[in-house]
Amino acid sequence: MTERNDTTAPTGACTDAGPAPVAEIRDLRVEIDGRAIVDGVHLRALPGKVTALVGASGSGKTTTGLALLGAYPSGARVTGDVRVAADGPAGYVPQHPASVLNPARRVSALLNDIARTQVRDLPRHERRAAARKRILQALSDAQLPHAEALLRRYPHQLSGGQQQRVVLAQALLLGARVIVADEPTTGQDALTKSRIVDQLAALAARGIAVVLLSHDLDVVHALADEVLVMRAGRVVESGPVQRLWLAPRHEWTRQLLDTRPSSTGHEPPSDTGRPVLRVRHLTARHRDGAHGPTVVLRTPELALHPGESLAVVGRSGSGKTTLARCLAGLHRDHDGQVHLDGTPLPRSVRQRSRAQLAAVQYVFQDARAAFDEHRPVLDQVARTAVRLRGLDHESAVQEALATLTGLGLPPEATHRLPSELSGGELQRAALARALLARPRVLICDEITSGLDTVTRRGILDALTDLLRDRADVSLMLITHDLESARLAHRIAVLEAGELVEQGPAHRILTEPRHPFTVSLMETTARLEAKTGA
Amino acid sequence: MTHKPSTLLSDTYAVVQPRRAGRYALGLAVISVPLVLAVLGPVFAGAPGARAASFTPGDGHWFGTDFVGRDVWRQVLLGGRPVALTALAATALAYLVALPVGLIGALTHRRWLEETLLRPLDVLLAVPSLLLILLVASVLTPDAVGLALLVALVNVPDAARIVRAAAADAAARPAVEALRMQGETWWRTAVGYVGRSILRTLAADAGTRLTGVLYLVATAAFLGVGVAPDAADWAVMVDRNRTGLFVQPWAVVVPALLIVALTTGSNLLFDAALHKPGRRRGERKPRL
Repeated sequence: MTERNDTTAPTGACTDAGPAPVAEIRDLRVEIDGRAIVDGVHLRALPGKVTALVGASGSGKTTTGLALLGAYPSGARVTGDVRVAADGPAGYVPQHPASVLNPARRVSALLNDIARTQVRDLPRHERRAAARKRILQALSDAQLPHAEALLRRYPHQLSGGQQQRVVLAQALLLGARVIVADEPTTGQDALTKSRIVDQLAALAARGIAVVLLSHDLDVVHALADEVLVMRAGRVVESGPVQRLWLAPRHEWTRQLLDTRPSSTGHEPPSDTGRPVLRVRHLTARHRDGAHGPTVVLRTPELALHPGESLAVVGRSGSGKTTLARCLAGLHRDHDGQVHLDGTPLPRSVRQRSRAQLAAVQYVFQDARAAFDEHRPVLDQVARTAVRLRGLDHESAVQEALATLTGLGLPPEATHRLPSELSGGELQRAALARALLARPRVLICDEITSGLDTVTRRGILDALTDLLRDRADVSLMLITHDLESARLAHRIAVLEAGELVEQGPAHRILTEPRHPFTVSLMETTARLEAKTGA
Repeated sequence: MTHKPSTLLSDTYAVVQPRRAGRYALGLAVISVPLVLAVLGPVFAGAPGARAASFTPGDGHWFGTDFVGRDVWRQVLLGGRPVALTALAATALAYLVALPVGLIGALTHRRWLEETLLRPLDVLLAVPSLLLILLVASVLTPDAVGLALLVALVNVPDAARIVRAAAADAAARPAVEALRMQGETWWRTAVGYVGRSILRTLAADAGTRLTGVLYLVATAAFLGVGVAPDAADWAVMVDRNRTGLFVQPWAVVVPALLIVALTTGSNLLFDAALHKPGRRRGERKPRL
């Protein structure tokens, strides 16, 4: 995870006043197949400061960040100048920390490998204790309490946040002066997010230069000192965070910062007649090997009325995805009934009739994984209409094309393979695939997490339009993001598998009753207050 | 210090397409030698000449003589068809059974069905393959077709296990759930998506399996099962002429090379067909 300290920078080289940058990029250009993915980027990471790179996915943030480590995409043509301070390498905390931790070795072994090389010059009998001391120091610097217990664990026994901090501890142990944090908060709930913000702020306070790559603007605003806004590989605007937020100069920055949630724009349906979908006494279990079945979800009563949208909010692991999967028939291991128009739905998607399948459709969180990578998107989307509504291939393709373009996908993109589409485009295609079934209930499982602000707003707008145009569709929005939940008429809050609170959206958002909902609201408010928005 | 612009890798990047065509050509060239010999060889073999002394190089024979003094070149011309046919048929047959069993096992959510399909195969897996062949042969005395069936049977358990393991991975992806939400047919889900996804693994397995089958046929022939012990058969030739390896190496080397060409060529062709352009893992820019 740490790389290169072979390019040394003469520390007096910078002419500006103030501390010398510990890492600097000048006029970086990275080109693949003649196409520039990063072009003319300048970046200075100052000790104790947080420099943030923001921009949509695919704007070149990660390529720039990785350039500080001396890593480039394979087959890239690189020009420009990258300097890193001589007395410490650059550390990298990737988006998925589990991928850089050896799963077969304990945390102690992973850290000891680094510490051992640093105590070589000590007498043999002192080495062990010295290495131990260094490790404990690094762990406490990375804000990992209970270090003793943690050292005995394997990476997979840690939570995602703990894994992230172990990677951080590795970087600190190496004496990194620059830490590149790649999307550290993506896909995290508000509570986890604010903890990560505190942790990175503490890091900067210790005099380490943090380079934050993120599309989460709340986090950027709360943390960053300097912000570089990237678009299509170029820095379109840069400056101190306050200036940028108050007076963005570039049109793209303005668009990116405009985070105001789009309102639903229509009133919730007045009739509270028969619910289209009704859950009663639902108890869902997970089987995980040795421990036998564990109950992960208890929902005594939940109803979804025609034309209504319900947001299910909760932290990761609260059981909200399990709830959605139970309704869609993808999680079979549950008791209790799910009624569609008063008739019970079969538990498994395999036993549902075509009409039942069409009535309840599910949009997956990871759109890329939910598409067959070998077939063009249009073909896959059209199959829904062929299978579930009995259309012939020709008219199904016509309708798929109309739906896809209606959701804002360029017509030429629909004939491409999923790997050639962006995350936002694929998520639109996934929505189109579900909509082609003419569903009565559309379940969207975290479909905007992992997308940048502009793309997310586009998808949420598409959902809003959908609710307005098709009055009969009920929407169930699974999310950890209260911004997105604001779209819905009603909000249900899940915590540790229990449905702790549900009610109209404005009521939950303004006067939450359950302590957990209150804390969730407060953390979000705290993040927003830090940003001053 | 600055980064030197690296032009080396971007050049290789641009030649991905020609390289793929080159792979095809190489695979075709390698596999065409044994295939052409196997198909057309018997036509050009001609009448058997008089037998010479065993293991003598030269003397009017291109590749010398074999262990009973026959012309090696003529044996090579005649010996391709049974090997290629038996081995290819046995491999194909093994997959004909293993594919449906493995795919059903991977895609079903009924544990009992998976157990019923795959447990009996585990029992078969526990019996050494040669022992099984000899056991059956002692009762039935199979011919070439029978031998192909037997070898296929022996190969079904591990082929099915590999198919199931590879398919289980693909079947757990959200794409399969998405297909189910679309009400897609079993055939399209299992073959169209899961089968397509595991093609690369299967191709690699088929290549090694073909080699294994070739030598299992040869060993069986050596023990007098299915093929006559002095039959014109590449695999049998390798086995029977081993004794004269240092006196007359051609009698072993030529058929062995042809078998290697058969398997290597098929592997190269599979690789070329399954190569994804622009996705070359493990290739990193050298550190500057």
